[in-house]
Amino acid sequence: MSFVEIRGASKAYAGQLAIDKVDFDVDLGEVHSLVGENGAGKSTLCKALAGAVVLSGGTITIDGKLMKFETPKDALDAGVVMVYQETSLVPTMTVAQNIQLGKEKALNRLRGLYIWGQQLLSSLNFHVDPTALVSSLGAAQKQMVEIARAVFHEAKVIIFDEPTATLTPEEKQHFFDLVANLKARGTAIIFISHALEEALETSDRITVLRDGKNVITAPAKEFTRAKLVQSMVGRAVTAVERKPRKPVGEKRKVLVVENLSQGTMVKNMSFSVYAGEVTGMSGLVGSGRTETAKVIAGATKRNLMHGGMVYLDGRAVRYRVPRQAVDDGIVYVTEDRKLNGFYETMSVGENIYLSWLASKDGRGLFVSKGQQRKIADKWKDRLSIRSVSKDPRINELSGGNQQKVVIAKSLVQKPKVVIFDEPTRGVDVGSIQEIHEFIRSLAEEDIAVIVISSYLPEVLAISDRILVTRAGRVVEEFTLENATEEKIMYAAVH
Amino acid sequence: MTQEVIVLGMTVVLFIVLSIALRGFASTGNLLSLVRSVSVLGVLAVGMAVVVIGRGLDLSQVAIVAVLPAWVLQRLGQGVPTSTAVLSAVGIALAVGLANGLLVAFVELPALFSTLASGMLVYGLGRSLLLERSFVYVNPGHEGFLAIGQANFLGVPIPVWIFIGVAVAAHLFLSRTQRGRFLYAMGDNYEAARLSGIAVRPLTVMTYVLSSLVAILAGLVLAAEVASVNAQIFTSTMIFDVILVVVLGGVSLLGGRGSITSVVVGTLLIGVLLNGMVIMNFDNNVQNIVKSIVLLGAIIVDNRLHPRDEETARQGDI
Repeated sequence: MSFVEIRGASKAYAGQLAIDKVDFDVDLGEVHSLVGENGAGKSTLCKALAGAVVLSGGTITIDGKLMKFETPKDALDAGVVMVYQETSLVPTMTVAQNIQLGKEKALNRLRGLYIWGQQLLSSLNFHVDPTALVSSLGAAQKQMVEIARAVFHEAKVIIFDEPTATLTPEEKQHFFDLVANLKARGTAIIFISHALEEALETSDRITVLRDGKNVITAPAKEFTRAKLVQSMVGRAVTAVERKPRKPVGEKRKVLVVENLSQGTMVKNMSFSVYAGEVTGMSGLVGSGRTETAKVIAGATKRNLMHGGMVYLDGRAVRYRVPRQAVDDGIVYVTEDRKLNGFYETMSVGENIYLSWLASKDGRGLFVSKGQQRKIADKWKDRLSIRSVSKDPRINELSGGNQQKVVIAKSLVQKPKVVIFDEPTRGVDVGSIQEIHEFIRSLAEEDIAVIVISSYLPEVLAISDRILVTRAGRVVEEFTLENATEEKIMYAAVH
Repeated sequence: MTQEVIVLGMTVVLFIVLSIALRGFASTGNLLSLVRSVSVLGVLAVGMAVVVIGRGLDLSQVAIVAVLPAWVLQRLGQGVPTSTAVLSAVGIALAVGLANGLLVAFVELPALFSTLASGMLVYGLGRSLLLERSFVYVNPGHEGFLAIGQANFLGVPIPVWIFIGVAVAAHLFLSRTQRGRFLYAMGDNYEAARLSGIAVRPLTVMTYVLSSLVAILAGLVLAAEVASVNAQIFTSTMIFDVILVVVLGGVSLLGGRGSITSVVVGTLLIGVLLNGMVIMNFDNNVQNIVKSIVLLGAIIVDNRLHPRDEETARQGDI
């Protein structure tokens, strides 16, 4: 008899089963990972356990008692806390206030609260100032506050939804120490994760969901990465095929960045990018990669006096607005597709077509449905964007397919320089593979490609050359032959 | 089912009920006067909808409706030729729209505050510099001008034709031209539109210019209809009626959603409602209460049919 037992859990959204008769259990003092592609039902299952979603069928038993969760508060009272991907903290309140949120005493003294908060945080070995505003904290520290809150609520079961997605490697290490600490206290921990290596390393058991069904539950040591991936996608996934690289002499310099400085994040960034090559940019979050990309693509204006220089095909460029960069053939594929990647009210076809209209080729007065269909079909086909209906709203697609649309939106503008910022964040394993192959195919078309990625296996899999950034500068450059995860990490941190 | 369809359904039901219950409601004469009575409102709402779809708001419309036509009538009385008087007013409206657009797009002020302020400025400057008194009549001898508010064409009043013309033009602009589609994109996701190379700031300026031009047109029609202007309408609830019509049909204040059809449908519902209430002799306060209930009802129904949280929760991870 496990502490938490879920039997035959089902949940339908608009007639579609998100999860279908799933059995799942977790014990006190156990770390149980849930893996699966986007849309496999991981979040739905956990939300049901956390009371955020009401099941259409099945039972949840905690400590031998049958539970009926209607609201998150019911689950909280039963000792289940879910730490969501987008943190649920109130940014304008202090750390201590956030920890107590929802369970404050009627009369509260700030000084007492901060002393209490300091005690709680240091008992957990968290180095966070209880008087600091949450908005001033980094991702890892927010995670700590979330955990402290879970501890304060006397959680017996803690669910983490992709906790490490936004963390830097050191922060990740720190986070796993915390999890070990919680485990030793006898807390049951459920992990939703896309990072398979982490799941293999930290969990006691792993459950794989596919299409809403439980495919396999087994001790972590019985899995390998390959076996996990195979259970997730239902087929074996092979590495990206690569054609031999061109000799150095034939390479054509397309983009040169010299001593670029912007705000406090970018300081004297210098590097070059060549046509027909994928240049990987690796580094910690906050090392100035995205900011550099935004200056190159015109999303932020380069400082005139002390901003350094950017040359495109040997010509100095300084863009006021992205439109000028798009006209010159530089596009930026955003790291946050929901925030600024696509138009959520529109269909896939309209999303792609509108980008084409905004490019040099498409400019005119009127729109044409036939042209839209032609362009959209071509790109849907090229990126194998899959959907049930013919031209669905982009909201109805899975994360991986949405990302492909965002990529199509940029590529339809016929760029010669493409900057991908975290091209596979929140994307399922199958689509990651397809996106990687697509990025490689761009390089073969003689496009200069920059890939910003915090995920080292990704950088190593698709780059021809790897730049490592630290504190706003490129500190190291590796050719593919002599790059390893260890070397890149060392350069990024030290 | 969209909000547009719901509102259309409500209009039809209300129309049938009123036709049965009220004698004379369904007569051709009454129906024409019904549409005519909301034509000016409809024209203003079309202009507002274009701004709102681009995620803006133009509260200065009513200032233009109140001040500039009054100035036109005053100058007509002083013997200025009609074309000169009208064109100079249109010029000022253009400048106001341009100023609004520049403030919102380039100075990056929130539309709510900048157009509220510019509206008060236009009204204040107009009252103190241009207008001798707040109530201005049309002097005899300007039948040509009065025609745009009072004459009929093919048995249908000119204001109704103007409403139809403005609505059709705006519909074609929004659905068939690139700029129109870009406007939806910008309203849906401003930063995504900017990053993909859409010239978002000139587009924003254009919406405010259109809104101001539509406002001076509506103001002149209104002035001709009643052969006078009371500049005090600036302080009436007119701007809220305009927003009511826009939102009622399903043009979301979030931007990027809704269409001119929805504005027309919203206008018709308000027309039927007001006409019915006038025939039944409801006083102004009761009319306002009914209007507010209708607005709340439409929004609640829309929320029930489109639970946005569920929708957003479903994308990405399930």
